[in-house]
Formats: sequence, structure tokens, C-alpha cells
Amino acid sequence: METKNNNKLGWLFASPYLIYGFVFFLGPLIWSLYLAFTNWDLIAPNYDFVGFSNFIKAFKNPAVQSSFWVTYKFMMVFVPLVTAASLAVAMIVQGLPKLKSVFLIGFFLPYLSSGVVSSLIVKGLLSYNSPVNAFLRDNFGIKINWLGTPFTALMIVALIIAWKFAGYYALILTSGLESIDKEVYEAAAIDGVSRRQRFWTITLPLLYPAIYTTLILSFGVTFGIFTEVYQLTGGGPNYATNTWQMEIYNQAFKNLQAGYASAIAIIAAIVTFISIFVIKKLLEMWGKRNGWV
Amino acid sequence: MKKKLAMLLVFTVAISMLAACGSKSTDNKGTAEGVTAIEFWTANNPPQQAYWESLAKEYETVNPKIKINVSPMKETPSSEANIQSAIAGGSAPTLSENISRGFAAQLTNSKALVPLNTMAGWDDIIAGRKMTNTIESWKFSDDNQYVLPISSNAMLFGWRLDILKELGYNEPPKTYSEMLDVAKKLKVKYPDKYVWAKADLADPAAWKRWFDFFMLYNAASDGNKFIEGGKFVADDKAGIATLGLMDNLRKENSLLAENITDPFENGVGIFTDIGPWTLNYWAERFPELKYNETYTLAAPPVPDDVKVDHPKTFADTKGIVIYASAPKEKQEAAMEFMKWVYSDAKHDLQWFEKTNMPPARDDLSTNDVFKAFLDQNPALKKYAEAVPYAVPPMDNAKFNELQTFIGQEAVNPVVRGQIDPTTGWNNMKKAIEEALK
Repeated sequence: METKNNNKLGWLFASPYLIYGFVFFLGPLIWSLYLAFTNWDLIAPNYDFVGFSNFIKAFKNPAVQSSFWVTYKFMMVFVPLVTAASLAVAMIVQGLPKLKSVFLIGFFLPYLSSGVVSSLIVKGLLSYNSPVNAFLRDNFGIKINWLGTPFTALMIVALIIAWKFAGYYALILTSGLESIDKEVYEAAAIDGVSRRQRFWTITLPLLYPAIYTTLILSFGVTFGIFTEVYQLTGGGPNYATNTWQMEIYNQAFKNLQAGYASAIAIIAAIVTFISIFVIKKLLEMWGKRNGWV
Repeated sequence: MKKKLAMLLVFTVAISMLAACGSKSTDNKGTAEGVTAIEFWTANNPPQQAYWESLAKEYETVNPKIKINVSPMKETPSSEANIQSAIAGGSAPTLSENISRGFAAQLTNSKALVPLNTMAGWDDIIAGRKMTNTIESWKFSDDNQYVLPISSNAMLFGWRLDILKELGYNEPPKTYSEMLDVAKKLKVKYPDKYVWAKADLADPAAWKRWFDFFMLYNAASDGNKFIEGGKFVADDKAGIATLGLMDNLRKENSLLAENITDPFENGVGIFTDIGPWTLNYWAERFPELKYNETYTLAAPPVPDDVKVDHPKTFADTKGIVIYASAPKEKQEAAMEFMKWVYSDAKHDLQWFEKTNMPPARDDLSTNDVFKAFLDQNPALKKYAEAVPYAVPPMDNAKFNELQTFIGQEAVNPVVRGQIDPTTGWNNMKKAIEEALK
């Protein structure tokens, strides 16, 4: 009887989140699935069921195809960049004699900043007549159309997002570093292990759980890129930065095709789920092969 | 007891959270004590909001049975997205302004707007405001009128007159070959300057085509329609010539399609599209720019073989719509309000003075009410004179998709030098025809 009552209480305490999850996640997901099979724009009084035609149209659409590849391109640039940057920040902060938390907060601040504001600042910095470009032109004769060239546009968006998230991931990694027993390092130092060897044989294995977390989070980020792309490139040039979110937004709110946009969103969700699942398995294999887990 | 209290607390918190997330419908309130309250969303532009707030207040004293709640529409991520969400969520206003013809076509396609011409009082507005000719081009393909145009901004091109004079010209070029001559001379004197410096030329966003492609195309084709009755009817020769001008400027290294801050104002470019709203911005930010001294305004240039006295241009027009989701009583109250506003030309003058945007009426350059204001503002007079030659945007529900193709398939790759104008035009035509099927 006691257990039954405790179970009820457990459900009750969990109910705010469960209700929230149903209303804002599960409900919209089911609704989105329904919409994906219609040609509804959410406004018209009438609509038709169109079977899988929205999905077929999405697979044929070059903009949707580009979203698929662009996400992985962002991943290839963003994940190593943010991992290296956050690890560097965490290790530098960890080595500081004092004011660690002040520096960590400093690095964390970009995470709280508005993506719109940071994008607009970068846009101004990279404009044709900005001091940066004027300096490059006048001194080296270098003319770069930063946001108008596919490669540089992608790199810049990835850089802004890496700048934004590096401080946040550094916090996670710092807490991981803090949990490593200092005596392990002392013993290694006595045995004459070099700093580099200490990093590869002590720090990295013991930091693996924290790195695993930041890697999963950063892979996830690449599937949700929107604000920076919306503000800086609009998905261009030539779809070079056209992400899933950008394409869903364009179809739903510019072309008023909510049904079609839902189909793209479902495809994006499936691609995201499969990708994250595969990445998670690969990371676990990496940890197991090296004996870190 | 403690458990019961805890359960009650959790339940209350959960319900409060959900209640806080709900949005209040703004337009389903009934009539209170014989007063009809209507919701009016204005553009998120302080002068426009102030204008409507003051008129609403004045109207409430004339007709206390109608209360008008004026509020600016949200613009994040876009006003269109907010209107769409409001309609879908059942919280649409009674009426809103700042609606373009293209967006109205999308809403009409979803039966979200009231055909205004079917409402009592419509004819009075048209006659009272003297806009019989202007309103004709606003008719939708089903012969109904869904938008009451407030202003008609006949877009003009600005030229840096100071730089043109340095190159030996006293007035802007009128034809493409004259424009290319300017480009050649400009590059000799100022290798770092460009005729046309505009990042938007490389941006596929649909609305950007109104301010580059359509201005030039309307002039080159003498206003030939682009899409009509769901069919692509554009003038191929004029379209290719328009893209050809962009391509030739690029070849002369006189076209810069890169992210650049205020290129015309800083003199990096000497040619740009200018709407009347820009004049207020310049007065504040760039007071050194003086009309007919530093810059001048002109109709779009035309291909050499096009002989017209008044080249056509694009009309950036916005208007008022009434939403079908509003109760009939509120729709009628909204119509009453509009009738009152447009029964007096002085209200249009106030609009013109506050926003610089020419009211959409036939008698703008002849009505004495506007004369003094136009005499004081010669640049605005130029806009008022161009109103009859300005073509409003297409009324196709797929306008966003179609205009994105103009950018993606034609304008963007041509300005980047990736394809020639004819190939760009044909690719665009194919994509548009496919989308219209």
C-alpha cells in the first residue's frame, strides 16, 4: 500500500514536467506528423490529405538536399573547433592560481548573448567597407567576400557558434578536470611522465565522461542552427549555409506551406535521431576501445 | 495531510504553468455595453503607430460606440509569420495595416481576408478618397479587392549627383548604354568606386527582387506583367535585357554584390534604389546628403531601344486588410473607421507628413491639401509624380517561392558571373513554370 502511494506521489511530482513535455513536445510532434500528410497552411478552412507527396517533394527539393549535407559540413567544422576551444579554455582556467570562476563566467557570457546581436556585429565587421576589409585591401591587396563565398560563409557561421558555446562546454570540462585527483598527476610527475604524456594518459581518459557529454551536445547543436544563418547569409550563397531549420522556416512562414514544412521537419528529426544515435555509439566504442569506460 | 498539501501544491503549479503559457484571444471579446471593440495592428514603426493612435483617439470621440485598440504588430521573426500564427491560433486582429499585395494574395488563397468591395461603405471610401484609378491595379484575379492601399511608394533610383558632375554629367543616365558609359568613366577616375554597390543582389530572399529586378524589369517591359492568372507572362526580351545590364556592370567591375554598409551614403556606390522613407533616415544620419546637390532621383534606366517618356517602376505598396476570422459586427466597425479616416484628405496629409510615404490617391499631385507640403519637399514631389507609373507587386499566392527563383536562378548567379543572362532567364522561367503547375 505504502509503495503504491509512493508511486502515485512520484507520478504527481513528475506531472508538471510530463504535462509540459506533452503540451510542448509530444503534442506538437503528433500534430506535425498529421500536418505532414496534408496540404494545409494552418489558415485555410479546408485542406486535403496528400499522402506521402510532401515527403517525395522534399526529397527532390535541392534546398532540402543541401540542408542535409550542410548540417554535416557544419559538424565537421564546428565540433572539432568548439571541442578544442572549450578544452583549451578549461585547461587554461584550471591552471590559474586564482579568479578561476571570474574567468569562467567571462567565457560563459557569449552563451548568454543574443545570436541576433552577435551576428549583426560580425556582419558589420566583415562588411566591404569595414576597417578589417579596408586594412586587408590597402595593405595586402586581399579582397574577400566573406559572406558571399560558400566556404568562408560556412566557416564564419561555424566560428560564431563555436565562440558562443565554447565557454559553456568549458564549464562542463572544468568540472570534469576538477574531479580528477591531483595525486594521480603528482605520482606521474614523480615517475618522470612529461606534460604531454600526462594529457594523453591521465587527463583525456579521466575527462572522457565530460568530453562525451560536450561532444554529444555539440553534435546536437549542428542540427538546430538557425539564428546566425538567418541573420548573416539567409542560407546562401547557393544554399551553402542552408540548414534544416532555415528550410523549415522558409517553407512554413515564407511560402506558407505548413504541411510541407512539417514533412521536412519530420525528415530532419529522423536524420537527427539516426545521426546522434550513430555518433553516440561511435563515441562509446572509442571510449571502450581505449578502456576509458 | 502533508501529502495532500504537497499534491495540491504540485497540481496548482502545473495548472499555473499551463495557464501562463496560454495566449488570450484578442478578437473574440464580445460587445460590452453597446461598444464594439476592435483590434488594429499597425506596422512596428513609431511614426505609423503614433499616426493611428491619434486617429483612433479622435474617432472614438466622434463615434463613442466603437473602441479601437491600436497595437504594433510583432516583427520577430517577421510580421507575416506573426499574422499567420495569430490567424492559426485564433487571435488575429480585426484589421491590420502594412500588408503587401503579395502577402495579401497568400492570405486570400487561405480565405483569411474579407473581400472589402463586398462590404457596405467600400464605394464611399474609393470615391471620397479619389482613388478610382489607383485601386484598379489592386484588383485580385478573382475581381475582388482585399486590400485598401494606404500608400504607394513609387520606387526611384538615387544617383550621386556630386560624383556624376565630377565625371562630366549634369543629370543621371537614362539608358543602359549611357549607364555603362558612366561606369567606364567612373572606373577611370575612381577605381575603388562602383556604379551599383548592393549586397542584396546576391541574396535570394524574395522581397529583395522588388527593389532591384522589378524596378528595372517594369521599366524595360513598360509595365508588362510577370505572372497573370497563374501563368508566367513576362516579357523575355525585357527580362534578359535587365539581367544583361547587371552582367555588363559586373564585367565593367562596376557592380559590387557584397555585404557593405551604407555604400551610397559613403560614396562607394553612386546608384541605388530609394524609397521615400529613406529621406527621413538621411536627414537624421546623413544630413550632408542634399537633394539636387549631393544626390538626385530618377526613374529606372531603360534598354536603348525602349522609347518611353515615363519609365515604369515598382510600387512598394502597403494597405489595410480586414480579417475574415473577426465577427461580422467588428468587421463592420472596422469599415466604419476606415470610411471616416479616408473621408478627409487632411488625414492623408498627416500620414504623408509623419511617414513621408505618398498616400495612394489619384489626386496627390493636384489636390491643394498636399500642395504646400510637396512644395516644401521637392524630393517627395518626385515620388508623388511617379505614382501613376508604378506597378504593384504580383498577386500570386506563391509569390515568395516565385520571386525566390528570380534570385536563385537568375539575378544571384548573373551578378556573381556564374551564368550568362539568357541562361539565367531560361533557368528561372523553367523553375517558375514548374512551380506554377
